[in-house]
Amino acid sequence: MNELIPLMVIVPMMAALLISAFSKFDKVIKVFAFVVALCLPIIPLLSNYGVHYFGGYAPIVDNITNILYHPAITYSFNFPQQIFIGMVGILTFLVVFIYLTKYTKVSGPYLFLLFMGTAAVTALILTDDIFHMFVFFEILALAQVGIVAASSIDYSYEMALKYMILGSIGSPIMLLGIGFLLAMTGTVNITDIVAIIRDGIISTSSPMFFLSLALIFFGWLYASGLPPFHTIKSGIYSKAEPHGAALLQSFTVISMISIVIIMFRIYSVLPIFEVLIVLFSVLAMILGVSLALTQTDFRRMIGFLAVGELGFIGLGIGLGTQYAITAGLFQALNEIVITALLFIGFGAIVNATNEVDTRKLGGLLASHPKVGIMLLIGGLAMAGVPPLSGFQSKLMLVQASLSCGYPELSILTIMVSIATFVVFVKTFYSMFLRPKPHDLEVVDKDVPRAMIFAMVVLLIIIVALGIFPDVVTNGISNFVGGMLH
Amino acid sequence: MRLYDQIFDVVKKFKELFSPGPVTNADVSGSLTAEIFLIVSLVIASLLLRHVSVLLAGLVTLILAIVLISNIPLIPKFKIEQDDSLNKMLFYAIMVLGLIVIFMYWGGRFV
Amino acid sequence: MAHTQLAVLFTSVALIVIGLYAAIFVDNIIKKIIGISFIEEGANLFIVGIGYKPGGIVPILMPGMNSTWFASNASYPLPYGLVLTSIVIGASTLAVMLALVMVLYRRYGTLSTSVMLADTSHQEEYDE
Repeated sequence: MNELIPLMVIVPMMAALLISAFSKFDKVIKVFAFVVALCLPIIPLLSNYGVHYFGGYAPIVDNITNILYHPAITYSFNFPQQIFIGMVGILTFLVVFIYLTKYTKVSGPYLFLLFMGTAAVTALILTDDIFHMFVFFEILALAQVGIVAASSIDYSYEMALKYMILGSIGSPIMLLGIGFLLAMTGTVNITDIVAIIRDGIISTSSPMFFLSLALIFFGWLYASGLPPFHTIKSGIYSKAEPHGAALLQSFTVISMISIVIIMFRIYSVLPIFEVLIVLFSVLAMILGVSLALTQTDFRRMIGFLAVGELGFIGLGIGLGTQYAITAGLFQALNEIVITALLFIGFGAIVNATNEVDTRKLGGLLASHPKVGIMLLIGGLAMAGVPPLSGFQSKLMLVQASLSCGYPELSILTIMVSIATFVVFVKTFYSMFLRPKPHDLEVVDKDVPRAMIFAMVVLLIIIVALGIFPDVVTNGISNFVGGMLH
Repeated sequence: MRLYDQIFDVVKKFKELFSPGPVTNADVSGSLTAEIFLIVSLVIASLLLRHVSVLLAGLVTLILAIVLISNIPLIPKFKIEQDDSLNKMLFYAIMVLGLIVIFMYWGGRFV
Repeated sequence: MAHTQLAVLFTSVALIVIGLYAAIFVDNIIKKIIGISFIEEGANLFIVGIGYKPGGIVPILMPGMNSTWFASNASYPLPYGLVLTSIVIGASTLAVMLALVMVLYRRYGTLSTSVMLADTSHQEEYDE
């Protein structure tokens, strides 16, 4: 059923609009949001692989030059799209579920932002049109700002405004890069651009081509929160509500991989492209993890860890072989799940103690053993301990960098994993294991059931992916092989 | 002796870094780990230059190692440069934009 | 006239450079936002500029027009469509930014960036 492909974007978007329009009817909105959220992971599972041309404008063959033109905005749906959209769907469902059970009166605009963000990332990963990508990239940025500003944490408005101002530099720069590509190729369809470059119609050694890469690359740095945007990215994670942050990081990861795949298809003929990506990924890994080690606010710490882990994805893409890109995409999938688990788990702790400073916490294992154990497994998965999913993808990355002839990168990868482990053990010790300080008051003993449920679901995914990685990696590997040839 | 004093100073600096509030064992050891991690990882990353030129890689690695070790504690400096103030973030963002554009426009072909 | 296109491209570059300058060196947040919207307008103007065709006609095929003549004389319509979308997005971004500034102005009573959007990580970490 190829008709389901556009519905993956239309359903959350229409739901968002309807929910914000009828936010007065509280009961109806709750049921409606729940049903739509439940549909989100199901639609990509039912849909067939293929392409969808909006407006039904099929590709046209130019009889004289024998070149295929794509006049319509095209969505292409394949195995990686299916798995990533399915994962974001599951995460959106869990987050909406936590939100609906947490508050008796739900806010229509907040649900609007959650669904709009999901629609935007879905479109980002489906689209085969570079301007369409830009539009949803902007919508996504607006939704992210809204999710941050809607939280009740101190200084959330300030952080939202900072993110927005940096975004209004990043996105016009990216638009400028798209403008350069449009000026050179006359089209915004990525398949057409790739064909034009492959046929040698435009010179790939012209400075303009390099300039367009530089400008789009800068936009990508903003979208994915690699340095110099790592501080703001970790900042917005720490200022959003914990379930919101779990969704925000998945938005970041998906926008990162969808834009980098587009850039890879266009610019992989240039050797400097891979150098740039590896450079910024290595910087992200080093800065993210070393700053995470010095944080005392544990939300901020997870934020920096999440940014550091993004470096692994970039490293996989930057190495550029089929195996390495597969490893990078698999790492992206794992990171979505693991970081979401950590944000929700630590959010449960904030809920129970009303405290975010690790220096003032302690002894929580006695009062919250379930959350503690699940967080421990999540942290081990992020650090790459077998047999969890993080181990499989990091092992693949180490092997990939070894087989490409970069043993330094392997060493660096392992070192960053160890440092991640140190960060996690340090935080886990000071929050859960050491004696409880006298002045710590646990405000509300119970962790919400919905949060426990969400963590259990995510944990099952982590263990399943760790034991059966082939289910995902084979499909991704086939897709990457098709993309490289 | 000088290096020893310097390392001792590091712990004192960390006290300022975490003020206001108490400094726990875990925080100081975390910051020390960060310090060592930063130096070692930057040095290892600079080894990647050997794919350009072996001599350059050796020189850069040596100079980087000496500069980094003689400048400890690095983490307080790093943290101050990467705080949440918008002006610093904007400055670094635009500086990186300028560097990428200049480097790609004039130097992109030579890689 | 290639001069027109060149002038447009120069203007767009000037707008972008002014915007980047304002983003770093101007302290007043409203002025900074105005400067940043310059970058956006510069990018839009650049895309309009690349769709320019000397002596081109409006790219709408009216009844009775010779389609071959139309194809060789109409200017390229794709950039204009893109810029229209981009302007709408830019306007909504601007509105959200100014709304956030309004809220923050009520809280701080100043429009200075170095006061309003300074580092906050230390103040909240340990407040007794």
